[in-house]
Amino acid sequence: MTKLTTMGALGLAVACGTATPALAAGTTAGSSITNTATVDFQVGGVSQTQQSASDTFVVDRKIALVVEEVGTVTTDVVPGQTNAVTTFQVRNDSNETLDFLLAATQIAGGTAAHGGTDSFNASNLRIYRDNPSTGTVGSYDAGDALATYIDELAADTTARIFVVADIPGGLANNAVAGVQLRATAREGGTASTQGAAITQTTGANTAGKDTVFADAAGVNDGARDGAHSAADDYTVKTATLTVTKTSRVISDPLNNTTNPKLIPGATVEYCIAVANSGSVAATSVAISDSVPTQLTFNSGTIVLNGTVTGSTCNADGAAGGGYSAPVVSGTIASVAAGDTRTLVFRATVN
Amino acid sequence: MRTALFLLAALAAPAQAFAANQVALDNSVFVERVSTDAAGKERVLLEEPKVVVPGDRLVFVLNYHNSGNQPADKFVITNPLPSAVRFADAGDAQPIVSVDGGHAWGALADLTVLQPDGTRRPAQASDVTHIRWAFQKPIPVGGSGKLMFRGIVK
Repeated sequence: MTKLTTMGALGLAVACGTATPALAAGTTAGSSITNTATVDFQVGGVSQTQQSASDTFVVDRKIALVVEEVGTVTTDVVPGQTNAVTTFQVRNDSNETLDFLLAATQIAGGTAAHGGTDSFNASNLRIYRDNPSTGTVGSYDAGDALATYIDELAADTTARIFVVADIPGGLANNAVAGVQLRATAREGGTASTQGAAITQTTGANTAGKDTVFADAAGVNDGARDGAHSAADDYTVKTATLTVTKTSRVISDPLNNTTNPKLIPGATVEYCIAVANSGSVAATSVAISDSVPTQLTFNSGTIVLNGTVTGSTCNADGAAGGGYSAPVVSGTIASVAAGDTRTLVFRATVN
Repeated sequence: MRTALFLLAALAAPAQAFAANQVALDNSVFVERVSTDAAGKERVLLEEPKVVVPGDRLVFVLNYHNSGNQPADKFVITNPLPSAVRFADAGDAQPIVSVDGGHAWGALADLTVLQPDGTRRPAQASDVTHIRWAFQKPIPVGGSGKLMFRGIVK
């Protein structure tokens, strides 16, 4: 049911209708929309003076923004790593250029962005804005500036933001730290200066430009609060090593290799097995073992990098390592995730 | 007596000077908002355009009234669409529209748009640039009516 008011717009002639370009985010806030209708008619066959009537109103400001993680996977890190990066983007869907205040936080326990359980906090959390013209655009590099807010982001434009942190040492494989980025709309208009906070216009309309919040709820903010937020996380991928040492009698002076016994003069083979149950290879694994005083090391018998089958150390290693009484040592170049490698040597019972 | 006849004759002549105010035209805009009441039924409200943001649906209402003492003939109302408004529909009055800035006119279904590669495609509501109502019959003295069309804020 149309409720007509007697607005009598004839007196409301406005200076000019604007011709603002059409943006996906919409007509720029503050623009006037003027509608003018004209009437042509005749009386008694004579054309009369054309008449017109106009109506004008102002387009108000709609604040909308989206913060989202770039990509769909966690950022893999190793313990002790510095400058680990999670990547976000902030898109201004409002109909005005605005500043956006940024806040990066970490969650304390609970489920992180990709399903893991948050169990540690990274340190030295910082925010950088990707420089869109220098360096590697899209990736964190030395050309990106530290940022506490996004300056003058135009309507329909996206800014890429990096949240960068350092990972503590001593973390277990698959430990997770969840991070969140929140952007809050602030007044734009003055470059290199963070704009003032924006409040929604409540109650009666003003003749000027009013503000309506149209944002959705993010991970740590509510709907229609002028802010949006998203989450990402770091997952530790490291090697987890377990060492086991086994021995077996190879031969004795009397039985030789047929059912040898552990009598003086018997040759014993030691196998030190390093198993990696982590997610990445362990490199430069240095093994050292002291030969018990009751045995004498057999020089030239150190074999490195052999494999195991079940609980049996295979004889497939290569000569290497060194002996400096009473320590047998050797370095295995790499133990892959899920693999087991050995250092094997022989000694004779005194 | 003769003087009186002359005066009457003078008064009976068509008064061109009055024609400028003969037709009153009123132009209003409302924002169309759909709300769901407690029973779950949707109600459409027309509100004053106090807070209008891109995406809002507008209803433009033109009221005309022949307030003169002569019928108004060949009555044509032309409404160019504001640049920040996209045409949606025009109710029952079936106006003709233009999609090329006011040169060619016709029903929307009959119009085509020239594309950059030289071919023509059927015109859509978002192409409309002007709306026109042309009345076949004169508007009688005291006659009035209401026309409306809908648009969406770009």
